[in-house]
Amino acid sequence: MNAQRIAALDERAEALRLKRGMGIADARAMHPTIDIVEADPEADRRLLEGLADWCDRYTPLVAIDGADGLFLDVTGCTHLFGGERAMQDEILSRFLEQGFDVRAGLASTPGAAWAAAHFHGDRIVAGGEEETLLAPLPLSALRIEPETRASLESVGLRTAGAVMTAPRAPLARRFGAGLLLRLDQALGRLDEAVSPRLPVAPLSVERHLAEPVVLTDDIERLVSRLATALKGDLERRGEGARALALLLFRVDGAVSRIAVGTSRPLREPSLIRRLFHERLAALEQDIDAGYGFDLVRLSVLSAAAFDMQQADLTGEANDDDADIALFADRVRARLGEAAVLRPVAVESHLPERAVAIVPFSEAPQRRAPLKRPERAVPPVTIYPPERPIRLFRSPEPIEVPATEMPEGPPMNFRWRRALYRVARAEGPERIAAEWWRRLPGEEEAPTRDYFRIEDSDGRRYWLYRQGLYGASDMPPRWFMHGVFA
Amino acid sequence: MAMTAVARETVFALRRQIAKIEGTLPERLAAPAGASPDDRDIADVTVVRRGLAVAAPDAFLRTGIEPLDDALGGGLPKAALSEIHGVETRDAGAVAGFALSLAGLILTRQPGLPVLWVGTSEIFREAGFPYAGGLRSLFGIAPEQLLFSETPRLLDALWIAEEAARMTALAAVILEIRGSPRPLDLTATRRLHARAQDAGRPVLLLRQAGEAEPTAAPVRLIVSAAPSASRATIAGPLAGSIGRPAFTVNIGKSRTALPGQFTLEWNPDEHVFEERRTQEERATNPVAVVSASRRRPHPAPASGAVLAFPAVAAPASGDQPPRHERPAHRRPRRAG
Repeated sequence: MNAQRIAALDERAEALRLKRGMGIADARAMHPTIDIVEADPEADRRLLEGLADWCDRYTPLVAIDGADGLFLDVTGCTHLFGGERAMQDEILSRFLEQGFDVRAGLASTPGAAWAAAHFHGDRIVAGGEEETLLAPLPLSALRIEPETRASLESVGLRTAGAVMTAPRAPLARRFGAGLLLRLDQALGRLDEAVSPRLPVAPLSVERHLAEPVVLTDDIERLVSRLATALKGDLERRGEGARALALLLFRVDGAVSRIAVGTSRPLREPSLIRRLFHERLAALEQDIDAGYGFDLVRLSVLSAAAFDMQQADLTGEANDDDADIALFADRVRARLGEAAVLRPVAVESHLPERAVAIVPFSEAPQRRAPLKRPERAVPPVTIYPPERPIRLFRSPEPIEVPATEMPEGPPMNFRWRRALYRVARAEGPERIAAEWWRRLPGEEEAPTRDYFRIEDSDGRRYWLYRQGLYGASDMPPRWFMHGVFA
Repeated sequence: MAMTAVARETVFALRRQIAKIEGTLPERLAAPAGASPDDRDIADVTVVRRGLAVAAPDAFLRTGIEPLDDALGGGLPKAALSEIHGVETRDAGAVAGFALSLAGLILTRQPGLPVLWVGTSEIFREAGFPYAGGLRSLFGIAPEQLLFSETPRLLDALWIAEEAARMTALAAVILEIRGSPRPLDLTATRRLHARAQDAGRPVLLLRQAGEAEPTAAPVRLIVSAAPSASRATIAGPLAGSIGRPAFTVNIGKSRTALPGQFTLEWNPDEHVFEERRTQEERATNPVAVVSASRRRPHPAPASGAVLAFPAVAAPASGDQPPRHERPAHRRPRRAG
């Protein structure tokens, strides 16, 4: 079991009559000069995904098949490349130019196309010819399990044609429904869906370039042109883009995919260009233009209803929220999702839980601008407890040598190695842990007694003591949690 | 060395012209002695006292403290970069509180606009992240009005602040950094200042534990915490309690002002600053309502010592900052 075996061969090795599955030791014994490279399925997978990305230029519906195959659903795409024959020729020749040995088959059903690719190499099966294609082929052309195939062969059914002519009911009974399913799918009696690896963009525009572009400025100019083309489509649908992707197909097959998100639906080409400007600036090192990009595609990944804004008489729609959303989008495009944050009040009395800091895009949209409460209306009855203006991410432990009373505020404390003398103190405000959030079996968190402290220089702090004196053997610990104005 | 009255008047008019063209803070100009009486009337009101002759009336954010506004030549410039320094990182609470009070003042005129707070990860880790839960009741800034931006790199923070400073949709941009990093030099601050001037929105540069360096900001204030007054109750101040936020503000740099020191108190109910007059407070309450605890130091230390300097004594000396906080160019120079 531990023997090293041949997983794949190149042409010259095949000419030496080496076979897959042969032991390395045997192969070396036959041909001592052969080169052996360790198999790397991970790298193979990455390569296949890269090729799938590249095949995006032909159709948005690309699926990966096993370890070495790709399904391209070219329904409705062939006329763009001059027909089925021309399209298959182009795909084959471009792969060949990149140094890949590729076999292709084109048929009305995925099963027939698979069989044509695996057993013919370069064949186009017209609609209705699936049966004549499959009939002479061995059973493996039907994409069935090896065990099923072995048992079919043991009863003398060696070709797909033999299975097709055999009565169906005994076949289903003896070999399971999988065999007939595969057969029906290959012959087009049942639909088989190819599940694409990427969600299909509802809208996309692309531009094939005779002369590949290299410069970022040129790419941005193209983005703005594509966005202008996209604007009409979005207007017809009454929508704006919420997520956009820019696909750059490099001449040698590498594909860069650059996505930006927007906080509110967008369709203005200049704004889309600015978003991609920031994104491209942030990715400058990561995008290698190499010999240039020969196909640029801008897709709308998701769209949402676009509310028209009425401009005022000066011709400018004055919408502050839109400005802020756009600003946030640009910062996010450049510095990542967490670069713009917004606090959201949470129903909790634990100070660190009461305000959640969420990325801008996830925060609920702002309501109408707040009106300043009228002076005449008295403020809401109770005063909220005083809260600090800055809170430490995690409370910092402080050393408290003595308190005047066991449950009282400290007289002095040491925080970050500096000694502070307490001049005045207010408190305690007791905040207990939220028992309803405690998981079963978890220990109850000790209560906290918060004190507002003013030190001898007039700085105001928020300290708390965790736990009570005498509640356990360990003395309670003190923490610095926040700073007041 | 007598300059003719006409020549002085010409210089005066030219300076005013320059200030108008530049759109900068007008310098504190002395009215020409020999100016014609009617010209002098205007000058007295607008130029000499506030230096507002050439600036639009809302060019300044008035703190509401008469001496501080006068010293700054009308208030804090609204469309400008203003530096607010804290001497040590532990002053971050007071510095942030003062900046937020200024934002609160702006929001009383333009309610609803958001405030953007940009900071490096370092300062938020060292000084604490702004806590939205404490800002609404104190400064009237609702959580929906707050936007934060945190970046590990200072250059990114500067970029965000610069982009934000162009926008008129924000009430104020607060950029908080620690120390005196190299990227924040004269050029960077000049860019921020120019953007703020164009948009007409203030950019507040908070520098915790920073040195006073040459920057493009016309005003630099050095803020530290001041001991707060006691809480006011119906029965008078409540001894030992911690009242409203109080700040000690030193003018570190201003084109118009001499260095000065002010103690400000923020009134969270009215959203205005009030000047603290320690003497007054002591005068109304010479003795604490409750006697000081025997084992704990009295909160208002050494009240007797104040009596040696009654309020009638020269006020200027009391307003002067300590020697080490004066700007370098005002320090006496050693010759040779």
